[in-house]
Amino acid sequence: MKLEIKGLYKKFGKLTLFNDFNIEFQDGTISSILGPSGCGKTTLLNIIGDIVKADSGILTGFREKTISYIFQDARLLPWKTVEENIEFVLGRDIPVVRRKEISAQLIRLMELEDFADYYPSKLSGGMRQRVSIARAFAYPSDIILMDEPLKGLDIKLKLNLIRIFSRMWQADKRTVIFVTHDVDEALLLGNEIIVLSPAPAGIILKKQVDIPFEKRILESDYFRELKKSLISALGN
Amino acid sequence: MKILSTGKKYISLASVIFMLVVWKLLAMHFDSAFIVPSPEKTLVTTLKLFTDLSFLRIVGSTIARGLIGFAISLVLGIGTGIITGINANLDAFLRPVLVTIRSVPVISIILLALIWFNPGLVPVFIGMLTMFPFIATNVSDGIRSIDRDLVGMAEFYKVSTDRIVRELYIPAVMPFIVSGASSALGIGWRAIITGEVLSQPEFGIGTMMQTAQTFLNIDAIIAWTLIAVLISFVFEKSIRWIEGRFINWRS
Repeated sequence: MKLEIKGLYKKFGKLTLFNDFNIEFQDGTISSILGPSGCGKTTLLNIIGDIVKADSGILTGFREKTISYIFQDARLLPWKTVEENIEFVLGRDIPVVRRKEISAQLIRLMELEDFADYYPSKLSGGMRQRVSIARAFAYPSDIILMDEPLKGLDIKLKLNLIRIFSRMWQADKRTVIFVTHDVDEALLLGNEIIVLSPAPAGIILKKQVDIPFEKRILESDYFRELKKSLISALGN
Repeated sequence: MKILSTGKKYISLASVIFMLVVWKLLAMHFDSAFIVPSPEKTLVTTLKLFTDLSFLRIVGSTIARGLIGFAISLVLGIGTGIITGINANLDAFLRPVLVTIRSVPVISIILLALIWFNPGLVPVFIGMLTMFPFIATNVSDGIRSIDRDLVGMAEFYKVSTDRIVRELYIPAVMPFIVSGASSALGIGWRAIITGEVLSQPEFGIGTMMQTAQTFLNIDAIIAWTLIAVLISFVFEKSIRWIEGRFINWRS
């Protein structure tokens, strides 16, 4: 099934973010979208997620899909524990026993066992984001939207989250659209990397990366070359 | 919730002893039960009050007035708070009303209430009117402080509206209701007893104070005051207990 956006137009006041913009995504892959700040990456996610209305444009394949969203900030309910936060998004049509099973499983996969009954105020930023990822995977979605969820985390935490996320995804290959302005993140976590121009956004470069996540070494010649071409594309 | 460390507890105890010593010194200085009765004598008077046959009725009446006033102001306050928290225009309209109610001297309201209501109802009305603005403004602030991003998240994940209200709005506003209720009751007891002093209902702590004052029973005035302080203290502690019990998620 094809996921496609055609002839997208979106303006905020005088700022034109999208002017006849086209993009497509492969089902069951992780697409990393790289672009400078303010190029409309988040708006693109919000249009896909139906949070923001496009001025015009045709979206194919999205509306009939269920979508999870990993926001830039974790957006956890402060009065719910880790477990309760994950369970929060599960519909009440799912029996309570099943809901508990799902959240327990994700807590295990995200390595959150020791923190299941912690309140978010007791968690670090990286841990909170892990809960947010667990919540996105707990939700029975086909597509996961990610809006720079690693922003503001230190490099060690970033690598750790990328490792957990990619392992999670190997077990449950949903379509992921991952927006970032960090080239390394895009390289480590994309089957496909799409570079956007400043607003109004257009696709400058599209690269396929077929190396499995666990074998990606940023210091290798392949990735160094790739990184160079992405940075020069971003620079233009 | 703050928990006093043992060291701090001793300091608080020292503070109470200090107040008692100052009291004792003042009593010795004036050496007159009509000006400052001694702490021991007052304590005896206080204990005697407990044995008074109508003690429970007197204290019960004051507490009942307080609770009725509080319940009404809680319902009205939460209602007004929700409306003004959601609608900015209604908020702009009602803020001056609340500020006015808050700034009017309690005594003015009592004098008017004495004309409008029967004696038993005056303290209830006073209590209600002094407590209501605290709860209303707090709830209103609470509603406005709700994190729109959290609501956005819940809506994105198609959480039903009634669950958003129950699991997001209510827990978010709860701390504001509790702190509003706490400051409201703090002011409320004082207002209610003042109301009783002036309206002279058949039973009430204020009525007893007024009677004691007429007969220059200074120790009785202070004894009833101690009981009023005790009531206020017990309710403040209960609210803190409720807060600790239900709002345990804050670090």
